[in-house]
Amino acid sequence: MAVIELHDIVKTFGTTHALDHLDLTVEQGEVHGFLGPNGAGKSTTIRVLLGLLRADSGTVTMLGGDPWHDAATLHRRLAYVPGDVSLWPNLTGGEVIDVLARMRGGLDEARREEMLERFDLDPTKKARTYSKGNRQKVALVAALASRADLYLLDEPTSGLDPLMEAEFQEAVLELKQEGATILLSSHILAEAEALADRISIIRAGRVVQSGTLAELRHLTRTTVIAETDRPATGIAGVPGVHDPEIHGNRVTFDVDSDHLDAAVTALAGLGVRSLAAHPPTLEELFLRQYGDEVDA
Amino acid sequence: MSAHPPSTSVTGVGHLLRLVLRRDRVRLPVWVVGLGGTIVASALAVPPLYDTPEKIAGYARIVGTSPVSYLMAGRQVGLDTLGGIVANEISQVAQLGICLMVVFLVVRHTRAEEESGRAELLRSTVLGRHAATLAGLVYGVATALLIGAVTTLSMLGAGLDAGGSLTYGTGLALLGVAYTAVTLVAVQLSTSARGALGLAGAAVAVGYLVRGLGAMEDNALVWLSPFGWAQGMDAFGDERWWPAALLLGFTALLLAVAARLMAHRDFGGGLLATRPGPARAGRLLGTPFGVAARLQRGLLIGWGVGLFLLGMLYGAVIPTVPDLIASNPEVADVLGASGRAAEDALVDAFLAYIHLFMAVVACGFVVSSVLRLRAEEEAGRSEVVLATPVSRTSWMAATTALALVAAVKLTVIMGLGLAVGYGLGSGEWDQVLPQLGGQLAYLPGTLVVGALAAALHGLLPRGTGLAWAAVALIALQVILGQLLGLPGAVQAISPFWHLAAVPVDDFEVVPYAALLLLAAVLVAAGLWGYRRRDAVAG
Repeated sequence: MAVIELHDIVKTFGTTHALDHLDLTVEQGEVHGFLGPNGAGKSTTIRVLLGLLRADSGTVTMLGGDPWHDAATLHRRLAYVPGDVSLWPNLTGGEVIDVLARMRGGLDEARREEMLERFDLDPTKKARTYSKGNRQKVALVAALASRADLYLLDEPTSGLDPLMEAEFQEAVLELKQEGATILLSSHILAEAEALADRISIIRAGRVVQSGTLAELRHLTRTTVIAETDRPATGIAGVPGVHDPEIHGNRVTFDVDSDHLDAAVTALAGLGVRSLAAHPPTLEELFLRQYGDEVDA
Repeated sequence: MSAHPPSTSVTGVGHLLRLVLRRDRVRLPVWVVGLGGTIVASALAVPPLYDTPEKIAGYARIVGTSPVSYLMAGRQVGLDTLGGIVANEISQVAQLGICLMVVFLVVRHTRAEEESGRAELLRSTVLGRHAATLAGLVYGVATALLIGAVTTLSMLGAGLDAGGSLTYGTGLALLGVAYTAVTLVAVQLSTSARGALGLAGAAVAVGYLVRGLGAMEDNALVWLSPFGWAQGMDAFGDERWWPAALLLGFTALLLAVAARLMAHRDFGGGLLATRPGPARAGRLLGTPFGVAARLQRGLLIGWGVGLFLLGMLYGAVIPTVPDLIASNPEVADVLGASGRAAEDALVDAFLAYIHLFMAVVACGFVVSSVLRLRAEEEAGRSEVVLATPVSRTSWMAATTALALVAAVKLTVIMGLGLAVGYGLGSGEWDQVLPQLGGQLAYLPGTLVVGALAAALHGLLPRGTGLAWAAVALIALQVILGQLLGLPGAVQAISPFWHLAAVPVDDFEVVPYAALLLLAAVLVAAGLWGYRRRDAVAG
């Protein structure tokens, strides 16, 4: 069952098309990576899901309801972490966590303690004295300490150090094991690669690719590096091979995933001494997605 | 999960109100004690001052015919009773005070929260769409009722008529309620807290001025203003209650408008949309002064237009001041002069008060302008500027200089407004230089207040709120100083107390120069302090 279903969403601000016929589906129990550069529409999408913005057209279903009309009711079952957390300067971090949790309908005391411990956050400090990373931790603890069906995380780890980033990833995997659904907007690709079951890439208000990491990889190319007994001069003629570079007996090329078999067969005839092939990293996928568009 | 009752559009309002009270556990008592305390002190001060029938009759004769009193406090009935005198004495502070209180408090918890992004975090919880608006309404209404109750109790404590005390307190509270509704509409219209404060503040000013003009000319204009409706309940006179229905109807209408606007807009959005601006910075933006000027452009234009119109309005009524002598010959007796001399004396007294009043209003501008330094610092924006080769001294000096230069310009603008208004009202255009000179005679007081804000920013950043306390104290001294019988040492805290009351008194150069020097010393101290303290004070 889909927890989030956005279909053909358009949202404009004046002449700016923030969301341009966006489609996005997030299934029950998955961690869904929502990737895109700054200004692509990630936060706008999440604000539509929170019922803060009303889509100009299209249909939105979240947790079986309409986020604009049933916002407060649906919010009992979700938790949200913004990417740029602003807190009330004269409240302490602990007070802010309790305020948010109470308004959400209560929190798990044991989990609150555990999260404060794990994120190494001092809840007695006034919010005005927190650094950006610590403000972020306040919002994270407030969200993670409550038991929700759906977590909307909008660049939740901006400003966190690598240790905290690791804690965050562990906490998200625990939530997933408990059956929660997580929409994780990010531009930290390693984070998405480590956590996400499925990924959607958004560009200029439109989801341009969506699928599991394997599916996305399948759509693109594998990089092959090989040493052969005889120079692989003929490799350029194999369908699906791109950008071959031949230095003596060493050859490097990219090959469409569909044509990997033909390329390897061609190499085999030349006497393979060593062979390394790696699928594209998410970063390469991401850059290629944008690079292709720019070239076109 | 479905054990909860279904959510409504105001679900969560109780949580919000608790958050509001927690956040304002200092601010709210300061408002209540400051405004309520002033009202209590004023109410209790009147009976001992007017302890004989002759003194009461004297008040009715003098104040009851004063154009300044009409303009500032409206036409209060029952001035031949102690109750009427108390009501007349406190109404300017109480009415403006309660309106400004609800405007500031309601904007702080509605649009300011939305603009800061904190409300977004809250709206992700179980919170209805109208909960924040309703919380603002409940908070504004509750604080207005509180001030109204304090007022009624203090009048009863002063031994005044119970019916009149209750009517007056009710009218005052309902005025606060009406402006709570005005503010709730303003926060739907503007996307910024500053803009909402400007809109609601302008609505307070318009209501106050319309009532004042109507009272001065004694015409139906007073019935176009909520201030006029509250006063129209005729506390300590006939005591009629139907004007209360006007206030409540006006409130209900505006609340319906606010709810409708809220239901149809995006979070963070407003009706007055933000337009796209230039893609590149103009040449002016290359210097700290240019940046300060750009950041405060809206503030400068708003105050400039507002104070020019205020000056015009007051200028336009000057020619009607002598008419009061014709209608009430006793005024001439009081002034100890007659004919042309009495007319001139009355106009001079009127002008001296108007000049002083406008100079005090300009203090509000200069403090908010200088304290942009503190706001920039708290928001973390000044550290970005100071990370460039701009020095602390030049950053602070630029903003301070901008504020003080703007105060000079505004003083000229107020004087010109008075002269233009006078010219339009009388057809005589020979008042330009006297009005300019008269307004400039009070300039050093305004500059000292701005310099005090600069000194606090440099030396005591956590205490910059004291600059606002100084403005409040000065306003109190100007409006109520004589009534409260404040000792000279307290009145002397106000820089204006030292300046000659031009044109009633002759201009004195020594206090004028001394105050300018004091302003320079305060600014220098502020710059000195800012160079030595942490650039980002918590």
